[in-house]
Amino acid sequence: MPPRAKTRENGRAPISITAVLDAVGALAAGTVRGQLYMYDTNKAGGSTGFGTEELRTRVRAGDRVLWNCLALECEAFVGIAGIDIDRSVIEPERQVYPGTDVAYWIGTVKKDDIDVVPYKIHFLVGTRAEPITTTLSPTLVG
Amino acid sequence: MPQQLAIIVLVDIANALEMKTLEGNTYLFDNMKLHGSEGEGTGELVTAIHGSYWRDGSQATEQVLNWLPYSLGSIPPTVPRGYEAERARQTDRQALTELESMVAKPGSQGTPEATLTQIQQTIGTRVKTTKRTRGPAGQKVLDVTGNVISYDGAAAHSYPPPVITDVYGEAVDKKIMYPAEYGSPDMVTDGWYWSATVDSTRPGTYTYTMAIQLHRLLLQGGDWMWEPVDLTCDSKLRITSEPKRNAFTKSGLGLLPIPPA
Amino acid sequence: MAVKPQVSIIALVDVIGALSSRSLLDGNLVMIDDGSFASRAQGTPELCTIVQPGQVVQWTALAVDLQTPVEIKNIEFLRLQPAGQPAYPAPAPMGHPSAALPPTGPPSPAAAPYATGPGAYPPGPSGPAGVLAAPTTESEKLDLEIWAGVVPYYMAPGVAYRYRMEFQMYEGPYSVLYVETPSLMRI
Repeated sequence: MPPRAKTRENGRAPISITAVLDAVGALAAGTVRGQLYMYDTNKAGGSTGFGTEELRTRVRAGDRVLWNCLALECEAFVGIAGIDIDRSVIEPERQVYPGTDVAYWIGTVKKDDIDVVPYKIHFLVGTRAEPITTTLSPTLVG
Repeated sequence: MPQQLAIIVLVDIANALEMKTLEGNTYLFDNMKLHGSEGEGTGELVTAIHGSYWRDGSQATEQVLNWLPYSLGSIPPTVPRGYEAERARQTDRQALTELESMVAKPGSQGTPEATLTQIQQTIGTRVKTTKRTRGPAGQKVLDVTGNVISYDGAAAHSYPPPVITDVYGEAVDKKIMYPAEYGSPDMVTDGWYWSATVDSTRPGTYTYTMAIQLHRLLLQGGDWMWEPVDLTCDSKLRITSEPKRNAFTKSGLGLLPIPPA
Repeated sequence: MAVKPQVSIIALVDVIGALSSRSLLDGNLVMIDDGSFASRAQGTPELCTIVQPGQVVQWTALAVDLQTPVEIKNIEFLRLQPAGQPAYPAPAPMGHPSAALPPTGPPSPAAAPYATGPGAYPPGPSGPAGVLAAPTTESEKLDLEIWAGVVPYYMAPGVAYRYRMEFQMYEGPYSVLYVETPSLMRI
């Protein structure tokens, strides 16, 4: 009988937020507006706004939230340079998938009753040194 | 050679398995928004295929479609596909090292039971393969951060990407497109991908269906196995075709517009 | 020597690289041709393709990453300097983005019919000599255009006729980049 998995703080699955970005569109337009589609894995828990730039992800205290991104053009590079969000709610940290240099951001929701918390994502696109930042706001909702 | 069309099929696997349908759990994208594709990022994508023809009516461009299935919330496709196998090997090596040091220096790492538990967690849960298994083989269960986990049926784990097993429907029956499975060394596609060439001489909107196989972890006889679950998803192609023309003269071939010296 | 009836010039573009650095330089643009004669600077944006009158020259743009879009937006031959001046206009800033052609005023009546000085640009479509400029096409129709033409007999031998080549990569304020360094030369 395999041993039990290490229990997480409240046993719920981490919520993954995926940002799908049209890399060529974002570079040609100089913005991610109109080029970004966001999804998360908590539809069952009440997340809304799937496929838009204003994803509303439903979270509770103790939830781990993971952000990653992928480019529409499968060989193009997109990455997350940073996430600006109220640090009293969550402090995302950059991690890499072990043994690779592919990064993701992960944090744990610190409290309940967070109401609506907007955040900004800074994307690295192609070989461009300056990140491109979201203009519309995705949010975490409690 | 015109741009190749890529159609991304992003599946929320956990919810699709739960609800036993891809409808509402699948998001489609293509790179043809400029040519008029509609419904990007939804389950209602209509892919615009912009064909062209020569003056004698023969088809001028060969449009190629490629399908890329991804699993939402799992380890992204940018992580090399040998990843699961590599992680399995790494953790096995690590477990062997821990076992070695336990044998060499008994008692230095705490009680044997605790150490063994630690080693078992390092090893994680391996998924059993049988001769019939077509899906992901010889792997261990990974969580969404790429760490090997000991799976007890409750923890969240990374799913292998969905596999397209067939492309059929009106667009194929009417010979608008000719899909086939191709081998590729590309890491992103894990060796196999579906591709189709398009006959763009008959404009119109045509539906097609993708047979998509998901995998669910199932405990059978004490072993965890990936059980395939077959579902389908529909989409559409909208074909248009316009005549090619000379860019300098806007009609036929002429002299280059070089200014006289 | 039998001369090929057609010369193909291929422009290979790293679209992600070009859009990221907003430049066609540093390897983001490679130009090659398959002409019968030894063209100069193969593989660079300074390609000088050797041609003969009567040959057809055809330009094609290809993206290094087949899933990224690139189309030729425009090819326009630059006017030469008047006799006595170097055949090449003084180098203009190369490969920098242009969302629209820079506006040029009408030439004064006493001026030579050639534009002079650094940054010599051909007159835009609205200029008085606009007859030599192809009317612009909407970006989503660019893939219907065939950039081909016959080399005229009046080209002076040994003179590099430079042309400006504009590329459209998707749409938006940063989607158009150009070079003015490639040329055709008649032997």
